[in-house]
Amino acid sequence: MGLLSILRKLKSTPDQEVRILLLGLDNAGKTTLLKQLASEDISHITPTQGFNIKSVQSQGFKLNVWDIGGQRKIRPYWRNYFENTDILIYVIDSADRKRFEETGQELAELLDEEKLSGVPVLIFANKQDLLTAAPASEIAEGLNLHTIRDRVWQIQSCSALSGEGVQIKDASPARLCSPEGKDDGEAKFSKGTAGSVASSPCSSSEGLVWGLVSSSACRGIFHPSRRFDGEVSSLALGER
Amino acid sequence: MRLKRLLLRYYPPGIILEYVQGGEPKTRSIDLLDLSPDTDVMALVEEIRKGEPLITASCKEQVIHLVRRLQEKLGEKEDHKFYLFKVLRAHILPLTNVAFNKSGSRFITGSYDRTCKVWDTASGEELRTLEGHRNVVYAIAFNNPYGDKIATGSFDKTCKLWSTETGKCYHTFRGHTAEIVCLSFNLQSTLVATGSMDTTAKLWDIEKGEEAVTLSGHSAEIIALSFNTTGDRIITGSFDHTVAVWDVGTGRRLHTLIGHRGEISSAQFSWDCSLIVTGSMDKTCMLWNAMTGRHVATLTGHSDEILDVCFDYAGQRIATASADGSGRVYNAETKMCIAKIEGHQGEISKICFNPKGNRILTASSDKTARLWDAATGQCIQILEGHNDEIFSCAFNYKGNIIITGSKDNTCRIWR
Repeated sequence: MGLLSILRKLKSTPDQEVRILLLGLDNAGKTTLLKQLASEDISHITPTQGFNIKSVQSQGFKLNVWDIGGQRKIRPYWRNYFENTDILIYVIDSADRKRFEETGQELAELLDEEKLSGVPVLIFANKQDLLTAAPASEIAEGLNLHTIRDRVWQIQSCSALSGEGVQIKDASPARLCSPEGKDDGEAKFSKGTAGSVASSPCSSSEGLVWGLVSSSACRGIFHPSRRFDGEVSSLALGER
Repeated sequence: MRLKRLLLRYYPPGIILEYVQGGEPKTRSIDLLDLSPDTDVMALVEEIRKGEPLITASCKEQVIHLVRRLQEKLGEKEDHKFYLFKVLRAHILPLTNVAFNKSGSRFITGSYDRTCKVWDTASGEELRTLEGHRNVVYAIAFNNPYGDKIATGSFDKTCKLWSTETGKCYHTFRGHTAEIVCLSFNLQSTLVATGSMDTTAKLWDIEKGEEAVTLSGHSAEIIALSFNTTGDRIITGSFDHTVAVWDVGTGRRLHTLIGHRGEISSAQFSWDCSLIVTGSMDKTCMLWNAMTGRHVATLTGHSDEILDVCFDYAGQRIATASADGSGRVYNAETKMCIAKIEGHQGEISKICFNPKGNRILTASSDKTARLWDAATGQCIQILEGHNDEIFSCAFNYKGNIIITGSKDNTCRIWR
């Protein structure tokens, strides 16, 4: 990767590039999820000391995914990566019930961050392959996701290990424009009331697609204006 | 004009004259960039005398002695084997860059953990932590040859100037509107230049602590910059595929070097400031006449992006590092490829010569740093031990100590 490629990923996002921040407690499965997204080998994954960055091509979008280590001592550094985030993905170990409170607190703090205000959040209820995993609906309730009013959100159950609920398969480009049927889609575009729970991994495998739509709708990722503090590049607008 | 003292400069070889003119102490240097162990000393000294009125018959013997000392230094056999001396684990997140002061007694490390740390090379002891940045500390530098100040450039859009001795922050330079990703002091240590993702570079007055001039004109991020030796010119390399040459005093753009078909990754002046070398994502490296801005040559051969490029201290050779996992050494005069550096299992992100110019050091994503013979490209040593890719590496001035900074959060000292 090298430092230079980090800079290239930092540079002003041209059309159709999306910056995704992947956070969650240690051992939640962030790196496994990342590797699964990039179709890489997941057999040897160790705790992330720093961060991993991958660019994944999907549906004509370039997803730049930043996976930051989740150990307690590293968490204060998450904020280094908040800027210019288009989508926040928060990963939860659904079988680690002892730490639901801790993970809920971390998530609440993230949602309070000014730099992440309005950023759509996709919560992965990971490790559904484990028998002891709590279902997404239970986690949603436990975390009071329904009280989130300032952004669109979705919780999605998945197993990063098996890939279920993670891969972006069958989503046609058309779906990007109108995600899950018109009514549902409308709800997602309106800030404040949006939110949904997809509990079956197979029925809704388009978590990221959802994110792309929400993000583009709410924050205007289709033109690279955000980096310039509101100054809109006329060229980019013309292309739209 | 009266000559006071003669001083030696080993790398690049030269003699510094200290003299008094109109009551003012002054210095100037005689560069001996072509000096080799088999140069005819008597003939060379005669030639020096013709061009330098300060070298009178009375000090001729001394000059001969100095030239011989330089020759000895260049001729010294080198079979130094490096071993891992210390692993420094004080940073909590990956390192970005590392840099030595001129004597090599201290070095600094920048990190994603928002700090810069100052280290004692001999003991590996952490001397102090420079804290205050609110985001990644990406670019760092000593004001060599003095080494009493440190500049840090951060993703928090500011640059800070620190005292090496006390760790006190003299100034925080604000003005950039995006991440600072490269910086450099001029050799005179009066200015620090910063390059930013906001497409501008700025020059800051160290004494006054304020902006001297903004260099604007690039249409994309600036990711490399370099002062020339005399400090009156600066070049900036940009993701807009061009390199600009600026007049330091006025901030006026003198030339735009157009030719690369991809983002610039690196740009540097040669020691005598006659040439500029640029590396690009277009897989080529180009040489330019620094005075006219004309394209001189294109160095081809790599099969993937060029990630780093550098001159040796004397400006006679060029080394390139590529994402194709190999490096190359070119003769700056003939533009021919002298040697290929092959063996890394991943891309090479950093390449540098030792000050003497006979060794090359590379840092790679294959978690190793490697030492090579600059003339043959033969691998001399593999520095193994890092657990993740190496982002940066550096030689001390003597060339007998190496530091490497890695994504594994550690810095390693090799002696």
